[in-house]
Amino acid sequence: MKIYGLFLISGLAVGSLYALGGIGLVVLRRATGVLNFAYGAIAAAAAMVCWQFGQWDFPGPAAWLSALVTGTALSLLYGMVVAPGLAWREPAVKAVATLGFALIILGVVSFLWDDAARKLVLPTDKMGVRLLGMKITVTRMIAFFGSIAILIGAVLYLDKTRTGLHMRALADNRDHSALIGIPVFRVETAAWALSGALAGFTGLMFGDLVRLDPTVITFTVIPAIAAAVCGRLNSLPLTFAGGLAIGVCEAMLTLVKPLAPLRSMTPFLLAALVILWMQRKETLTFAREG
Amino acid sequence: MNLRLLGLGGAAALALFALQPAAGAAEPACGLDNGEKATGEPIVVGGINGNAPPGDFSGGTDAAAAYFKCVNDNGGIHGRPIEYIVENDQWNPELAAQVATKLVKDRGVVALVGNGSVVSMAVNAKLYKDENVMAMASACAISDCYENANIVSTNQGPLPSGIGALKFAIEELGTEHAACIGFNIPNNGGWACDWMGKYMESQGRKSTALLMDPAAVDLNSVYLQALAEGVDTILLMLPAGPALGILKVAEEQDGRDMFKWVSPTPLYDPTVPGALGDYWNDSLYVNIELAPFDSDGPDNRNWNAVMDAYGREDDRRDTFSQSGYVSAKFFVEALLEMDPGSIDRASVTEAIKSISGKTSDLLCGPYYVGDFDRHMPNHAGRMVVFRDGRFDVVRECYDIESSYLDPIREQERQLGLTQ
Repeated sequence: MKIYGLFLISGLAVGSLYALGGIGLVVLRRATGVLNFAYGAIAAAAAMVCWQFGQWDFPGPAAWLSALVTGTALSLLYGMVVAPGLAWREPAVKAVATLGFALIILGVVSFLWDDAARKLVLPTDKMGVRLLGMKITVTRMIAFFGSIAILIGAVLYLDKTRTGLHMRALADNRDHSALIGIPVFRVETAAWALSGALAGFTGLMFGDLVRLDPTVITFTVIPAIAAAVCGRLNSLPLTFAGGLAIGVCEAMLTLVKPLAPLRSMTPFLLAALVILWMQRKETLTFAREG
Repeated sequence: MNLRLLGLGGAAALALFALQPAAGAAEPACGLDNGEKATGEPIVVGGINGNAPPGDFSGGTDAAAAYFKCVNDNGGIHGRPIEYIVENDQWNPELAAQVATKLVKDRGVVALVGNGSVVSMAVNAKLYKDENVMAMASACAISDCYENANIVSTNQGPLPSGIGALKFAIEELGTEHAACIGFNIPNNGGWACDWMGKYMESQGRKSTALLMDPAAVDLNSVYLQALAEGVDTILLMLPAGPALGILKVAEEQDGRDMFKWVSPTPLYDPTVPGALGDYWNDSLYVNIELAPFDSDGPDNRNWNAVMDAYGREDDRRDTFSQSGYVSAKFFVEALLEMDPGSIDRASVTEAIKSISGKTSDLLCGPYYVGDFDRHMPNHAGRMVVFRDGRFDVVRECYDIESSYLDPIREQERQLGLTQ
């Protein structure tokens, strides 16, 4: 039984990272209608900048802050320069454009930092408590409880603040929102900034808890999207739950030997199952007509 | 730090100095070593590397390029310079096929030297065979590279190096049950861990293969899996990045003393000690395929001298680079034995296949090619331990026992290299 507990804890730790990414995606998607495939690449750039500041002997807090600033800056760069030009295009076009931005970021990051061995270390890595024989570092707790705090904060922000209200209005109908005088550009800019800061934090956590590899961090956008799909690209609590579920399933599959090497397909499987479940009562148009 | 962009201006200002050998540094010796620039008709040679995310395998072609420049400044191939064309396949199979076709068919290279790309080897092995062109590779990591008549690599790859690490672990660390953590790629991790299992079985020991996706995020679960399997040794059959990820998880869990930690060559990289930290002192053992970077042998010193004088500032000086130097050196030696007027692909392929019994302080055994259906001349290595920010040799050259090498041993017998 203890071994299941160990894998559960391990899965929750990874799942909270997926959830974190998913929340960042959903916040942006709700306000701007953009599914940001560049989220992982922004997180990767943020993690690398943080590492670089550490190498330059900047104090820890300054280095950590640099991750958030980098994430915010890159997200704003796209949100203020490219996204407005695509504002009236189809969702698929908007999403594919972010994929281009992801490739540009990944290319620049690979140009600036070769693939030498690197490690991102936070002071909280050394602190921790033991649970079921497994050491849970404070960094993992920050990732887990941080994602819960961000979830609560994001829900409250969207429900209780004026900007949050504007974001929800934009999500419902961008045209009508513009007509009733909602400052679309300003609200979207706020969403890009918020999402970018979350990407920076996600990158910092991934860089420390997984590995400091820009490619790996970039592609963590996939489980993050799967988590967001679990939340129907709309619900933050469901996205959070989806992220945790993916992480736990992935970890638990380690115990099933034939499936263990294939467990990285968990995000896709879970997302597909959720999509099937969501459309279970839907009837095909032609079927209805028949 | 390797932040290329920064300091670009400074680097440009210092370029003249950087291109010169440091004061007191050894002078490189290459080819005919006569100090005369080669001016005849160029001999076109190709090289393919993979340099894009997720990895930089350009060390072999970088070293070969530096060595060929040195050769061209020292008489070339009896007056003919080597025109070395390097292509980057960017880990893209389509691009790998395109650049190989361009080099082999369009540019008509006489051979490929210093190759380092997992993708290109798998994609182009048939092309090399069909076009009768030899690839003297330097950075191989998949079975296709070692089981082809027209590819011979100077580096060992994961199979001999991993088994070498386990042999040491059994004999010196008392290993009884080892986990082979590798990528879930059939011709890489699957291949190497499978043969590792056969080796452990032949030694009356247990083994468990723990294969993971290359982009796996939950390294903690991989570590816990090893814990659940009850192994006493972990063999990190992984590139340096994910191997460091597993080591970081182990450090987080205070797992250093729960297992014996061994690895094939990838962790022997100049950038790894900085990322490891003191925690792993005297606890991480790595099998190295070529000589230590700071060894005092003539070839290792010449490799450094060539790279100082002819390499670029950002060229990597890793095992692949050493390997590229060796490949280029033996290739040049083979060409120098030929009539310079009759050098074409067919004669070069024949000359390469005639290479036998070459020695270098960078290698533990003789280098040879021969006319065989597979090649693995380098299968003996050394063992180092991580200690105080560096790697110290704990066992000098030793060979491995594996039935995988049966056809290789037979080749060596046929060439008269062993009894």
